Amino acid sequence: MTLLRIAVRSHRTGLIATALLAAIGGAVNAIGFVLIAGTTAAERAVFAQQMELLGRQLSYLLPAPLQLDTMAGYLVWRAFGVIGIAYAFWGLLSATGAGRGDEERGLVEEWLSAGVSRARWLATRALAFAFVAATSLVIGLAITEVATIGLSEALPIGALFLQGFVTWALALVTFALGTFVSQLVTTRRAASSIGGILVLAVFLVNSAARSGLDVGVVRWLSPFYLAERSTPLLRGGSLDAAATIALFVEALVLLALAGLAFIRRDVGASLFQGRAGTSPPVWRPAGDPLLRLPVLSLVDQQRLWILTWAIALAALAWFLTSLTKTVVDALGTSDIPAMRVYFERAGITAYSDFVGVIWFSTLLLLVSLFIVAQVNGWAADDAEGRLETILSAPVSRTRVVVERLAAVIVAVALIVAASSAAVYLAAGSAGISLPFGRFVFASADVVPVAYAFAGIGHALVGWRPRVAVVALGVVAAIGYLTQQFAPLFGWPDWVKNTSLYALYGTPMSKDEWGGMATLVAIGLAGTAVALVAMRRRDVGR
Amino acid sequence: MSDAIATHGLTKDYGAGRGIFDLDLTVMEGEVFGYLGPNGAGKTTTIKLLMGLSHATRGSATILGLDADRDAVAVKRKVGYVPGELPQFGGWRGSEIVAYVAGLRGDLAETDVEAVAKRLDLDLGRKYREYSHGNKQKLALLLAFAPKPSLLILDEPTSGLDPLHQQEFYGLVRDARARGATIFISSHVLSEVEHVCDRVGIVRDGHLATVGPLDQLVGMRAHRIEIVFAGTPPIERIRAIPGFEQIAVDEHRVSGMFRGEFEPLLAALASAHVTKFESREPSLEEIFLGFYR
Repeated sequence: MTLLRIAVRSHRTGLIATALLAAIGGAVNAIGFVLIAGTTAAERAVFAQQMELLGRQLSYLLPAPLQLDTMAGYLVWRAFGVIGIAYAFWGLLSATGAGRGDEERGLVEEWLSAGVSRARWLATRALAFAFVAATSLVIGLAITEVATIGLSEALPIGALFLQGFVTWALALVTFALGTFVSQLVTTRRAASSIGGILVLAVFLVNSAARSGLDVGVVRWLSPFYLAERSTPLLRGGSLDAAATIALFVEALVLLALAGLAFIRRDVGASLFQGRAGTSPPVWRPAGDPLLRLPVLSLVDQQRLWILTWAIALAALAWFLTSLTKTVVDALGTSDIPAMRVYFERAGITAYSDFVGVIWFSTLLLLVSLFIVAQVNGWAADDAEGRLETILSAPVSRTRVVVERLAAVIVAVALIVAASSAAVYLAAGSAGISLPFGRFVFASADVVPVAYAFAGIGHALVGWRPRVAVVALGVVAAIGYLTQQFAPLFGWPDWVKNTSLYALYGTPMSKDEWGGMATLVAIGLAGTAVALVAMRRRDVGR
Repeated sequence: MSDAIATHGLTKDYGAGRGIFDLDLTVMEGEVFGYLGPNGAGKTTTIKLLMGLSHATRGSATILGLDADRDAVAVKRKVGYVPGELPQFGGWRGSEIVAYVAGLRGDLAETDVEAVAKRLDLDLGRKYREYSHGNKQKLALLLAFAPKPSLLILDEPTSGLDPLHQQEFYGLVRDARARGATIFISSHVLSEVEHVCDRVGIVRDGHLATVGPLDQLVGMRAHRIEIVFAGTPPIERIRAIPGFEQIAVDEHRVSGMFRGEFEPLLAALASAHVTKFESREPSLEEIFLGFYR
């Protein structure tokens, strides 16, 4: 029981995050449906027709758009598809954390030396995740149900439970997959990367099939396909028993394989071990000149991480830009009053406005998340002793703060440059003309936002490293949601202006020098607080 | 000879009696100083204060004439440091960590890195996470010794090293001393202090209990006494002997630490049937333990 209790506790952050995601995703989309789709059958029929046009364009990402004139149909398409993806990746990351992360920290060795068998250890971890995932789904879906009851469009509880049951089975499969992959490599990062590629691959197999490509029987290997075969919430839909059983069989087979591999391999090693290399020993420092240069050494240390962000954001930028015409054509001149109002309030009158509003608001959020990850790294530098190593060299605390912030600005500039180039090229190939000067200005204006976030983040790290990441993440999330919902719900300007992103403004349509100067001032204030906090604090406490 | 390290009333109070209090300590240039104490005694706290990594609650410390806190950057140009808790560098290669630190320090010659790496048999081509604890410790030693600093501050420097590499470490310390460096070693491994130190300070519960030359500390005129009696030991009489401490009784055998004149001890034993009487100078280990009982 002790092992189970500890295993359950190790998932508490994931439990809270996914339960919140499911609850917010379900409840916000339920409210959004009532606000946008209208209340009469005629309004909803128009809404469903236009959303289906958009839904077909998004079939690579979301389930098939069916019965969008109903609350259940809309939530299945708009909310539960994304929630399923989130739970699938949570399953994977939890598995690699349990399967490799705990081993890297020496916890697995401790348990095994305490007399716990490998099979029992693995089974307990799987059981703990199953319990936590179920709890998370129950909380998230219960809140969604409460929201729909409040809107007088209650979802049938039994069908909602079955929808959650299928999502749970999907998460168990990716957990089992992550556990199995963890046996084949030696680090959590490698397990997460390889597992992530595999989950993405089976997701894309289903996406391709959904979009009309013939992928043959391979689609049956995709747990996403198996999960989507069940449509308990739709009119006339049901739980596909065979597909659901197949999901559990898949999970059990992968877990059994993982168990066999775990029993066979050495602790700390992968299942397949090559013989040690015979390369001659190295006695000298690495020749990489960037490692010796201020600021660039920090960028160089994260080169793969920055490259991954740049490529991922460029791909997303291309994808969103390529949808611009479809979305604007479908919704901008829509018969749905709420959508027309939204477009008006957001200032979208042309394709280029849509790129400006949608892409740059997405970019701001993602860049903020990149900053949150950096802040997490700064906190870890302290907790894991790297800051002590740096400060035991003749390096001032001021230099540490300034270098970190400068490195973040360089990294963000690289990421923004890559994604903006993708937007510009994608827009060109879609026949959308973007005003070059304004577009460059809007892209460059992202950097002050990043600086403001990084300044606040570093001030928080200097003050309370352990709460810095959560606090900054909350600032980013609330700021983004405020910006997104203000035009939809007609909130007053002062509410919208509480968001840091409001200072970014709409640089695609007008100069925003005031906002840019304010963002820089916030960044400078954060830097000043960070410098004072860094000078005053003890390292490693 | 001037002071390499001097502290005046140096205090770091973490509350609940934890920290280091009113530390007055002087380490001369060219000296190898051992700083002894059990876990939680305040050794690492002292070292973090000397390195300017923590700020003192009160008091001050000077390193080679510079204020340890105010002049922290200038101090570190002259100091090599081994932390008590090794950092985590994940997937970095040893050679990349050395290159990064070389960039920060600006005084790390490749030839010196190579010499120390070969001496410690440390392959810098491997990833940090693949290093054993001993190899991570070797890397920390390399980063401290390779710049040839004037002062080395080493917190538990032999932790995780096998006996062969411990000998190599002693060699590094001797060489550093030969070129005039001062070395401050914190440890609870007494044998390493006996190997290399000139003077020793013992810290207990955040307070400096004693400081003295190694030979003076060893010869604090205490003797380890072991007496075997033919019958039941006259334990009451023995306990009444002034200066006889840490008394342990095991059937007919009585042992303890004795300080002072022998006459009262011999007088107390005169009427007893003693079959064995042994007196020897205590090891540093026994002296050390004596401070904690």
